Amino acid sequence: MASNSLNIAESRAGMICIVALAGRIDSTNAEQLMTRLNSLLSSGEKAILVDFSEVIYLTSAAFRALLVATDEAERNTARFVLCSVLGQVRELFEMGGLLDAFTIHGSREEALTRLG
Amino acid sequence: MARPAGLVYAADETPPPLILLLSALQHVGVIAITLVYPIIIAREAGLSPKELLDVVSLSMFALGAATVLLSARSPISGANFLCPACYTAIYLGPSLFALRYGGLALVFGMTMVAGFTEIAIAPLLRRLRPMFPPEIAGLVIAVVGLSLAFLGARYSLGITSQHGIQPAYLAIAGSALATMIVLNIWTKGYTKLFCALIGMGVGFAASAMLGEFDMSVAIPPEGLEILRVPGFQHVSWRFDAVLIAPFLVAALASTLRLMGDVSTAQRLNDADWVRPSMRSLSGGVAGLGLASVFCGLVGVPGVNTSSQSMGLCSATGITSRALVYAIAIIYALMAFVPAVAVGFATMPPPVMGASLFFASLFIFTNGLQMMTARMLDSRKTIVIGTSFAMAVMADVYHDLFAGLPAVLQPVFGSSLVVGTVCAVLLNLVMRIGVRQRVSLRLAAGQIDREAVERFFSEQGARWAARRDIVNRATFGAVQVLEVLGDPPGGVEIEASFDEFNLEVRIRYVGTPLALPEHKPTPREIVANEDGERLLAGYLLRRSADRISSHTSGDRCEVHLHYDH
Repeated sequence: MASNSLNIAESRAGMICIVALAGRIDSTNAEQLMTRLNSLLSSGEKAILVDFSEVIYLTSAAFRALLVATDEAERNTARFVLCSVLGQVRELFEMGGLLDAFTIHGSREEALTRLG
Repeated sequence: MARPAGLVYAADETPPPLILLLSALQHVGVIAITLVYPIIIAREAGLSPKELLDVVSLSMFALGAATVLLSARSPISGANFLCPACYTAIYLGPSLFALRYGGLALVFGMTMVAGFTEIAIAPLLRRLRPMFPPEIAGLVIAVVGLSLAFLGARYSLGITSQHGIQPAYLAIAGSALATMIVLNIWTKGYTKLFCALIGMGVGFAASAMLGEFDMSVAIPPEGLEILRVPGFQHVSWRFDAVLIAPFLVAALASTLRLMGDVSTAQRLNDADWVRPSMRSLSGGVAGLGLASVFCGLVGVPGVNTSSQSMGLCSATGITSRALVYAIAIIYALMAFVPAVAVGFATMPPPVMGASLFFASLFIFTNGLQMMTARMLDSRKTIVIGTSFAMAVMADVYHDLFAGLPAVLQPVFGSSLVVGTVCAVLLNLVMRIGVRQRVSLRLAAGQIDREAVERFFSEQGARWAARRDIVNRATFGAVQVLEVLGDPPGGVEIEASFDEFNLEVRIRYVGTPLALPEHKPTPREIVANEDGERLLAGYLLRRSADRISSHTSGDRCEVHLHYDH
């Protein structure tokens, strides 16, 4: 738990926009994440993959940001999926009963195959 | 929860009928060896051949019922994992003591008392955990192994008050024990798995050759029927407060062993396993209590989970709960076939001795491993060293303790009781001053989450606390701070730790935290920030093992508790 800030890196795999998150996601940076995801969706992205492999933990503010982005994706008929939700981060999704609220794939490769 | 690589059938999966039957038979074979314990008690009681057959048949029937009570989940009991029952050396010492003190009726009555004790312990398991750390569980298991080795040696050598070492017994026990050891060390597969059973077969053959195999001990004068309903003539019940101590210790020792076995069953089904599910453990202990009460009622000694069966589950990857019913049905059928009971009841004493001695080797070393698995500091060294020495002294200076008042005899007459009582009491004394407390003050306007993370990370390392627990506590504190925002008087975070508990108290001036029982819907969470606060409270409630929120005037305190 050393890293303070959230690092958001974007890359592409064909038509899919990959958003790789690193660090912790809480109320200090959840707004930043929500804005970034919403701007991607409003710019016309139709497939967004959020990679959680480098996320240390997330709080309720982060879950809200992700749920808002999911709603926004539905409105834009875009696909919004998460991958590599592991360890303590996965436990938090389970605790919140939110595993079913998102489309989650085991790894980035698996998610890319499904989205492709 | 992730599926382990070697798992073939998980607890909720059902294998095809043939695999189900063969797997159940394997468990029955592994567990059947432990029928030696009720047979020893029945023989020491001097039962007639017919009554001996009844004890063996009822013992088999009780194993089936106990397996269901231990494993199948019901509203009141069951671990919800495959946990077959077996007879145990833990009850042997107290039962033999009760037999000498007041006959079989006292054995069965006090076995029921042990069962009721386990039922009472089940809901308190989490709170009692600090009293029975793994090193004390290990000590209990090691002492059980040690006393079993003494008993095994006595049976193997044929030593009684009238006889010294009997050469024929030595030859029989030696051949059986050598077979068990050779098969266990230098073979693989089924011969290794059933080394004890094969060794017993060799012992039977050697007994027949040396004229020590006596069928008349278990075959009634009127002969054997093909099918027979076992009788209850030997069954009655008596209770005596003097015997409470040894049976209480037996109940505790059984509970500790069950906790180890059920944890193994959980781990076999979950690659992400970090700590035992207390719900499953409590259900298992309640099932153990019901099983022991049932055993006392039908006139057989107390049972425990079968560690050997756990080994079998691990080796085969078959952990299906469907096996529970197959095992129960096989035992129920065997109970009505007297020929099967004769096979066990005619076991010659040196063969029993070899089996006991062989089992004691593994029980003793398992106990040693449990005792030394964690680093032993000075406190633990004193607890373990003193208690182990006391347990050995109870056996070595048996005559010295024989002069004590009758009420103290069951305590000082048993190495298991002396060792356990000594360990539990010393452990309680040594826990004085073990809790460490630190706090972090965050002034208003300076709520720094990185400082909170650093605080928990550094303290966790200093206390050698488990990483996953420290991470959960860090999340809890950060999540609370997130909901509180920036309270006017700042925030004080206090963390205290002992070996079993991590307590976090967060104090501030403001309104109490909402901790909803029900999870908010995604719609509620998205709708506004109140929904997010509800999710925060719900996450906190779920992530901590216990959480509460108190107010006193305008001062509030959130208390998060984590089991360690």
